[in-house]
Amino acid sequence: MNPLVSAQPSPADLPASGDPARWPWLQRLRRDPALTVEPWLRAIETGALTPEADLLTALAAQLDAAAELRLLRWWAAQPSPDPRLPALLGRHRDPRLGAWLLARLQDGPAALAAGLAPVVAEGLLPLLGAQRLPQAWPVLKRWLLAPVAGPLRRAALEGVAVGLPVWPRADLRGCLQGLAADLDPRLAAGAVDLLARLPRSRRLLLPLARRGLDPSVALRLQRRLAATPVQPLLLVVHGRSGGVLPAEVLDLAQELEQRRGAPVRLQALTAASPPEAGSWLRSGPQLTLVPLLLLPGGHVRHDLPAIAAHWRRLTPLLRLPFLGAWPRWQAGLAAEVQALAAAHAGPGLQPLLLHHPLTTPLAGRYLARLEQVSGGRAHATPYSAGELAEFQLPRSAPALPLALAANRFTDRLGDRVGPPLLQRPALRQLLLEELEALP
Amino acid sequence: MTGSSLPSAAASATAPPATAPPATAPPAAAPPAAAPPAAAPPAAGQPPLSPPLSKIEQAKAELCGLELAPRLEELGRQGWEALDEATLTIRLKWLGIFFRPVTPGRFMVRLRLPNGVIRAEQLEVLAEAVDRCGEHGSADITTRQNIQLRGLLLEDMAPLMAALEGVGLTSRQSGHDNPRNITGNPLAGIDPEEFLDTRPLVDAIQAALLGPAGPRNLPRKFNVAVGGAPDSFLLHNDLAYLPALRAGDLGFTVMVGGFFSAQRNELAIPLGLWLPAGQLPAFTLAVLRHYERAGNRQQRNRSRLMYLVDQLGLEGYRQAVLASWQELAADLGPELGGDPAAACPHDGSHLVSRAPRDGLGLQPQKQEGLHWLGLHVPMGRLDGEAMTELARLARTHGSGELRLTEAQNALIVNVPAERVEALLAEPLLQRLRPDPSPLQAEAVSCTGNAYCGFALIPTKGTAQAVLEELERRVELPHAVRMHWTGCPNACGQPYMGQIGLMGAKARKDGQMVEAAKIFLGGSMEAEPKLAELHDKGVPLSDLPDVLEELLVERFGARRRTSAGA
Repeated sequence: MNPLVSAQPSPADLPASGDPARWPWLQRLRRDPALTVEPWLRAIETGALTPEADLLTALAAQLDAAAELRLLRWWAAQPSPDPRLPALLGRHRDPRLGAWLLARLQDGPAALAAGLAPVVAEGLLPLLGAQRLPQAWPVLKRWLLAPVAGPLRRAALEGVAVGLPVWPRADLRGCLQGLAADLDPRLAAGAVDLLARLPRSRRLLLPLARRGLDPSVALRLQRRLAATPVQPLLLVVHGRSGGVLPAEVLDLAQELEQRRGAPVRLQALTAASPPEAGSWLRSGPQLTLVPLLLLPGGHVRHDLPAIAAHWRRLTPLLRLPFLGAWPRWQAGLAAEVQALAAAHAGPGLQPLLLHHPLTTPLAGRYLARLEQVSGGRAHATPYSAGELAEFQLPRSAPALPLALAANRFTDRLGDRVGPPLLQRPALRQLLLEELEALP
Repeated sequence: MTGSSLPSAAASATAPPATAPPATAPPAAAPPAAAPPAAAPPAAGQPPLSPPLSKIEQAKAELCGLELAPRLEELGRQGWEALDEATLTIRLKWLGIFFRPVTPGRFMVRLRLPNGVIRAEQLEVLAEAVDRCGEHGSADITTRQNIQLRGLLLEDMAPLMAALEGVGLTSRQSGHDNPRNITGNPLAGIDPEEFLDTRPLVDAIQAALLGPAGPRNLPRKFNVAVGGAPDSFLLHNDLAYLPALRAGDLGFTVMVGGFFSAQRNELAIPLGLWLPAGQLPAFTLAVLRHYERAGNRQQRNRSRLMYLVDQLGLEGYRQAVLASWQELAADLGPELGGDPAAACPHDGSHLVSRAPRDGLGLQPQKQEGLHWLGLHVPMGRLDGEAMTELARLARTHGSGELRLTEAQNALIVNVPAERVEALLAEPLLQRLRPDPSPLQAEAVSCTGNAYCGFALIPTKGTAQAVLEELERRVELPHAVRMHWTGCPNACGQPYMGQIGLMGAKARKDGQMVEAAKIFLGGSMEAEPKLAELHDKGVPLSDLPDVLEELLVERFGARRRTSAGA
C-alpha cells in the first residue's frame, strides 16, 4: 500500500479556528481524493469537533447521502442547532434522506407542538423540496398555508422553488396565485416570482394585476409582466359594409391596447385596404395576426392567407388559428349555451347555434364538433336581406347567434336571438382576457 | 499551530485514478475537450511514465462542459441533485454556471463583458433574471469589469442562456480553467487621455479565444488585459498588453505571469516582445495554446502561467511562445493566425504611468458636448431594481451604454450636455452616488461569507460598515484604495490596495473572533508594488480604531472635530 495514500488527515490535526494553518489545511482536505469521512463524522457526533461552516464546506463535497443523513440527524438533535448547517448538506437526492425529511415534516406545523424545533423545520423544508418527491407537495403546501411564523413559510416556499418542475401544475398555480395576496409581502413576492417561472406565465400573472396586492408585490408583478414580451396585435374581423367597424369591436380593441401596453390594430374583411403599416409595427419583434372569425368558411380559408401574405411582406408574422377553434372560446360558448338552456328550461329545447350557411365538409365537421362541445344545435340562417326577411326561427327554442359583433342578422332579429357575442359580458370578458394574455 | 500534519498534496497527486464514470446521470457521450495526455499504461513491473490525472483533469478530459449546453433544459428538469459531482462543480462552469456550496440549489452565473461594456437592454435582461429570484437574487460587479448573477435555479438556465444570446451576451467559459473576462480601459473610446480604444482589440481577442481554434481545456484559469490609457490595473493578469511605443509606432509591450493566490502573488513581468495592435488576438491564442499544452496539470496550486515561465526561464518561455505562434499561423493562415514576424524585441517600457482613475462623477468625454457619469456601486452589489433603473438612466439620458470598472463601479456614457441636469436629479443617484467619499470611491470587495464557505468574515457588509464609520471620523484629502477579501484566496485582490484587508480570526478577551489581516503599501503607480502584511489579525470590532490611526498617520487624513466628542 502506498504510505502516502494511507496517510489520512485526522480530525485531531485540524488547526483550530483562527490558526493561519487552518485555511490551507481545509483546502487540502477538500481536495483529498482518498479521504475517509468516517472519523470526521464520528468526531462531530461525539462532540470532539465543532462543525464550523468552513469545515463543513470542505467536507461537503466528500459526503455521500448516508453521511449527510447522519449529520442531519445529529444536527436536528442538538439543543441549539446551527441554522447555517443544513444549507451545506442535502446535496444528494436519495430515498432514505427523502424519507427521513418527510417523516420529520409531514405532520406540518402540528409537528412543532410535538417537539420539532422551528429552526430545524426551517432548515429542512428547502431540503425536502430539493428531494422532489411527489408526496412532498402536500407537505410543503401545508407549511406554506399554515398560520406559522414567516421564516417557516418562506422556507417552505424555497422548498417549492427548488423542486418547481415536479409539483402538480394546476394545484401549484392555484396555491401560488393565492399566496400572491398573502399578508407577508416577502412570501407574496416570492409566489409572484415563482409564477413567472411557469410556462405561459403571462396568463397566470395577469389576473393578479386586478387584485389588491401589497404595493411592493404589485411592483414586482409589474416588473414580471414587463418582462413577458408583448407583440403588437392585428385583429381581423368581418366588419360591416364598406369596412365599417362595429362599436363593440372598436371598444374591445381600445381596452385591449390599454391593458397590453402594445399596439392593437383592426382590419375588416369588408374594408377596401388594410390599415397602414406605420411605426406601430416596430414595437415588437413580430406581429401577431388574430382572426376574430367564428367559422371555417371562405374568409378563413381564402381571405386570411392573402391577408397574412400581405403582412409577411412587411414584418415577421405569427398567425393564430381562427377564434372559433380556440378551446377556451368554445368552452365560453358552451357556458353561454348552458345558461340559455337553463333560462329556457323545457323538453326538447336544445339551444340553436345560428350560423352563416356553410357548405364544405370541413365546415360540417367543425359544426359537428361545436355541437358536441357546446350542447347546442347548429342551425344555418339565410344570408341575403330578402331571405332574412322571410326567416322563421323554430318555435320556442332559445338561440345564440354566431356573430361576434352586430351585423344584418342581429340588427334584424336581435329582439328574438339576443345580442351578438361581443355584447354578452361573459364572452366579451373571456375574449379580452385571452387576447390580453397573448405574448 | 505548528506540527499539524497537512493533508498531503503528494497524496493527492499519487492517488490512483478514479476509473468509475460520473456518479449519476452521466452526460451524453461526446468527444472530450482537447484532453491532456493521460497516464500511459506502465510496462509490467515498471512505474507509470507520468503521474495519473487528478480528479479535475479527468472530469475535464471526459467531457467538455460546453457539450452540456444543449442539455440544459433537461438538466433543469432533472434538478441539480441528480447531477454527478464533476458536472455540478466543474463542467457547468464552462457555461458560466456555478454551483455554490453555501447556497445549494441557488446557482451563480458569471457573464463575459469584454472591456466592461454593457447596453441597457442587456442589463435589463440580467435585472429581470435576478429580480425574479427575490431575496435570493443579486448581482455583483466584479474586479474584472464583469457581472455575476446570484440566486438562480438550475431550471432558469436554459431560458436565461437563450435570453442572453438574444441580446448578444454570453456566459461561456467564464469560470474554472478558462480564459476569463478580458479587461480593457473602462473609458475606451470616450477617454480624452487614451492612447487608443481598447474595445475592438478586446472584442477581437475574445472572438479568437471563444472561436473554434480557442482553448477548451487549460490547466488553470487565465486572465488577459489590454491597456489603452496611462492607467494601471493590469499587472495582476497572466497576460497583459501595455501600450508602448517602438520606433515611434504605438503598439503593446507584452507582460506575462501576473496572478494572486493563497500561495504566491506576482505582478506580470516583461516578456521582451512588442506587438502591433492587430496581432494581439493571434498572439493571445498562441500563448494559450502553448499554455494548454505545456502548463502543469499535476499540481493545481503550481499551474498558473508564472510557474511555466519559471520552469522554462523567461527566454525559454518566449522562444516557446514564438514557436507556438509559428505553428498557429501555419495552421490557421494569416487572418486568424496572425503574422509572427510582426513581433519585435522590446525592453518592456510602456506608457502606463499612474494608478487607475476612479472615473466617478460627471466628466467630459473626448467627444465635444458629451459626458460620462461615474456612479459608485457600494461594494459592487446591485439588486434587480437598481439594475433596471441604471438601464433606464442610460437609455433616457445617454446612448443606452454603460461601462463597468475594475473598482466595481458603473459609468453611464454619452450623456449630452442638455441631459446632465435631469440625470443628476434622478433618485437612483441617492443610492449610487456620483460623489462618494474618498474611502468609498475605490473600495473593492470579494463576495464574503454570504456566498462563500471559506470567507472568514462577511466581507461586503463589514467593509461597508467600517467605511461608513471611518467617514464619520476622518476627512481624507484624496481617495484611498481599500481592497477587502474574505480568505487567502485573495479574490478581492488585497495586495493591490493601498490598504488591503483579509478575513481572519483573532483572539480577543479570551474569545476567538472575526478579524482582518491588514496589508499596506500596494501601489498601481508607475512603479507598481504589492501590499505587504502589516498586521496579522485585528478583531473586526477594533478595525475602525486601527484604520483611523493608519489613515491619519499614513494617508493624510484629518480627524473630524466632532469625532469622539
